[in-house]
Amino acid sequence: MIASKLKEAILSLRPGRVTLKYPFAPHDPEEDFRGYPELDADKCIGCGGCAAVCPARLIMIQDIDQNTRRIMRLLERCIFCGRCADVCPEDAITMTKRFELSTDSGREDMVAECEVFMATCQRCGRCYEPPTPLDKIMEPGLRHDEIKRGGQDSPYKHISSE
Amino acid sequence: MNAQQLGQNIEDRFGPDVIDWNVLGPDQLYVTITPESLVEVAEYLYQDQGCRYVINGGTDRRQQRDAFLITHFFAQDEEKIYIAVHTEVEADDPQVDSITPVVPAANWSERETRDMVGVVAVGHPDPRRLVLADDWPEDLYPLRTDVAHDIKPPPAEGVAPERLEPPEGASVVPIGPFFPVLEEPAYFRVFVEGEMVVGADYRGFYNHRGIEKLGCSVLTYNQIPFIAERICGICGYVHSCSYCQTVERAAGIEIPERAEYIRTIVLELERVQSHLLWLGIAAHIIGFDTVLMQTWRMREPLMWLCERITGNRKSYGMNLVGGVRRDIKPEIYDDIRSVIDKIGAEWQELAGAIPGDSTLMARVRGTGILTTETARGLGAAGPTARGSGLAIDVRVDHPYAAYDRLEVTKCVHDSCDNLARVLVRVEETLDAIKILHQALDDMPDGPIMAEIDEELPAGRQAMSAVEAPRGEVFHWVLTGTENRPERWRVRAPTYANLQNVPPMLAGNALADVPISIGSYDPCFSCTERMEVVDVNSGQVRVYTEEEFRAEYDQPGDE
Amino acid sequence: MFKELCQKSFPKSLWVYHCNVGACNGCDIEVIDVLTPYYDAERFGIKLVGSPRHADVLLVCGPVTRQVVPALKRLYDAVPAPKLVIAIGSCAVGGGIWFDSYNVVGGADTILPVDYYIPGCPPRPEAILHGVAVALGLAEKEIESVHLKQLPDRPESVPVEVESS
Ligand code: SF4
Ligand code: SF4
Ligand code: SF4
Repeated sequence: MIASKLKEAILSLRPGRVTLKYPFAPHDPEEDFRGYPELDADKCIGCGGCAAVCPARLIMIQDIDQNTRRIMRLLERCIFCGRCADVCPEDAITMTKRFELSTDSGREDMVAECEVFMATCQRCGRCYEPPTPLDKIMEPGLRHDEIKRGGQDSPYKHISSE
Repeated sequence: MNAQQLGQNIEDRFGPDVIDWNVLGPDQLYVTITPESLVEVAEYLYQDQGCRYVINGGTDRRQQRDAFLITHFFAQDEEKIYIAVHTEVEADDPQVDSITPVVPAANWSERETRDMVGVVAVGHPDPRRLVLADDWPEDLYPLRTDVAHDIKPPPAEGVAPERLEPPEGASVVPIGPFFPVLEEPAYFRVFVEGEMVVGADYRGFYNHRGIEKLGCSVLTYNQIPFIAERICGICGYVHSCSYCQTVERAAGIEIPERAEYIRTIVLELERVQSHLLWLGIAAHIIGFDTVLMQTWRMREPLMWLCERITGNRKSYGMNLVGGVRRDIKPEIYDDIRSVIDKIGAEWQELAGAIPGDSTLMARVRGTGILTTETARGLGAAGPTARGSGLAIDVRVDHPYAAYDRLEVTKCVHDSCDNLARVLVRVEETLDAIKILHQALDDMPDGPIMAEIDEELPAGRQAMSAVEAPRGEVFHWVLTGTENRPERWRVRAPTYANLQNVPPMLAGNALADVPISIGSYDPCFSCTERMEVVDVNSGQVRVYTEEEFRAEYDQPGDE
Repeated sequence: MFKELCQKSFPKSLWVYHCNVGACNGCDIEVIDVLTPYYDAERFGIKLVGSPRHADVLLVCGPVTRQVVPALKRLYDAVPAPKLVIAIGSCAVGGGIWFDSYNVVGGADTILPVDYYIPGCPPRPEAILHGVAVALGLAEKEIESVHLKQLPDRPESVPVEVESS
């Protein structure tokens, strides 16, 4: 009994102090960490490949007019899987190492929107070559006119309205 | 006996009742029978052939066949066979005979099929609602194809779950979310006489998120691995592996050998991580927080390692249909070795200290007895089954990934108590470290992703299982059109194990209830996915003594 | 505004109550992880308590499922004012990968007033600590919405920041 308590005590004491200094000193993630997906509006051609593969279905493509296409990303529900970055033919999306994403207005601060000038390509979807047939674009025309956010059409009452 | 012979046996025995049967690969048998013979066939498989019951699934095939397809899955572990028994039920009279009276483990899944597809199991001993919310309308079945995945019926007020009546003279101790606690949502009502537990009732599925419906209606083949992974946040990789294997089998995709080894390595890292976590939580339940802190300290470098290999601490996102997304770079083999060796050494020391610690032993030895017969009857899986003397382990019985090339030991204990379940996990962790070394040594070079140049064919089916830290994870996929499965059925281990809780609690002192539930390592989110259940973190806190007392102090509220 | 209120109301330590409203456990485990030796949130006086009636802060993990709604409302009422709600993980922030499922109501803010959000799936323990530090006023938030635009009269299509909040 005593012996095993001693063993346990030794086991607990040996490592010494391990607590990290974070948040007072940075503790960076490992090399290939997948953090906030950043979109380089310079490179994006609006092909919609990322929207087709995103498991959280948060990338919306809207054609505003003949020449402009909007890539709307509601990153509030992003699961940081990095699929969008994988399939983008132009490497416009990078998974950065940013992970300190906390905010006091999640729904607004996590929105990322980009308007792409589509002079040459009119929503043909041909610029996107799916890596395998499993990743092909499922919705021809790519229009999501109604942007869906979790819970907006919910029949449940918010606690403040009761 | 192989799958071919078993199929022949069934045909010989039931003759005209067998409409069709075929064998896929060496180890999968699909039998289609008439609804009238279902109970007899189930009894034959379960009693005469010694099969283990896995799960039941219902598919709405009214568009294709004007019928509902009801499927019961069995496993014959000695012969390494999985058996799917299909029955078609007419669309205008959705009723089928219940097999629960002969196969008790079918209890929950038949209730679930009624909830989700609306096929009633006639003669079911306990036909209460299981999965859906209490205020969900009676005649709306989410898994039917004509019901939208995002339907939101208006909420109703003042509905309560149907409850089992406690035995005469017993009082009820509720443990769970309704008052005043809501942690990991699950609701146990424990019936007590004095300090002794005489029975229990369970209302769970607070975590039901409709995963199967999403998989069969809006997601595509390559999006599902990510949602499958989020069935459970602790051992999610097993689900994405199992799903990918199933689709690969159905479509006849051969994945490269290196991808198999990578899957094996990540699976074993996950097992070590999960067992460390579990030991800490179990120690916390019995009030031994030193062990909690120490095991979680040991676990942290492993989490960083996983982040390095996969890009995320958990929910690794490694799998796609056809292989894995990231290679394990040869430079980090040595880092993996040193991290797991360090864990192994410390773990051995800790394990050495346990048997001498009489306070600890007093809490786990002889408590929470689950006999071998009950465990088999209710289809227990994983460490729960192996702690009750059932030698089943998918890695050995139905090898997948690279396990047929590696040496895996089944860790079995037959004292049937909480201690046995602790010891099984302790040994398994050390074994996992050995497997990791073997896999790293043998890892072949080559590609990590298979070439897929055609769309997957529709109408094919396959089954596959993976040994999760908590037991067997089983997936069945029926491929469909539009780049997604027509039906995807998942069984998480805790789904099977939780059914064992009520019988196991009976005869224990009330104070042993938390550790007995904890010893399953239940994961509620798994079972309730649409089946998610695995308990952990939150779960644990549901059962703190404080809360017990809080419940105790307000007996009138129930 | 909230920051001030927060610093005023909770000058020393926060007692938190953690609830899982349908999460996959990933976030819950990371919350526990924050309390273990490497991260040790108790340095900041953060303590996990076993009853909502003792809590200042409610940590919500997971998408709110239908079955949980009434219990969650009751739970919120049980926490004494002033109270903070922190949504942890992409599920609690926006409904996550299940946002439109029939049994999921949405992010935590469809039911409760949420004060701070910590996205991530699951958020790293560091991210959770950072979120708490933001709530305590020890750190600034580092994220804002992004609005970019390519302009047709610039052939190289240089992105211009049109608006930033
Ligand atoms: S895949 Fe790349 S190029 Fe195509 S729309 Fe997405 S970000 Fe733009
Ligand atoms: S990282 Fe994954 S979830 Fe996030 S936007 Fe990209 S594809 Fe969607
Ligand atoms: S945010 Fe991710 S890890 Fe957290 S509960 Fe949701 S799916 Fe699980």
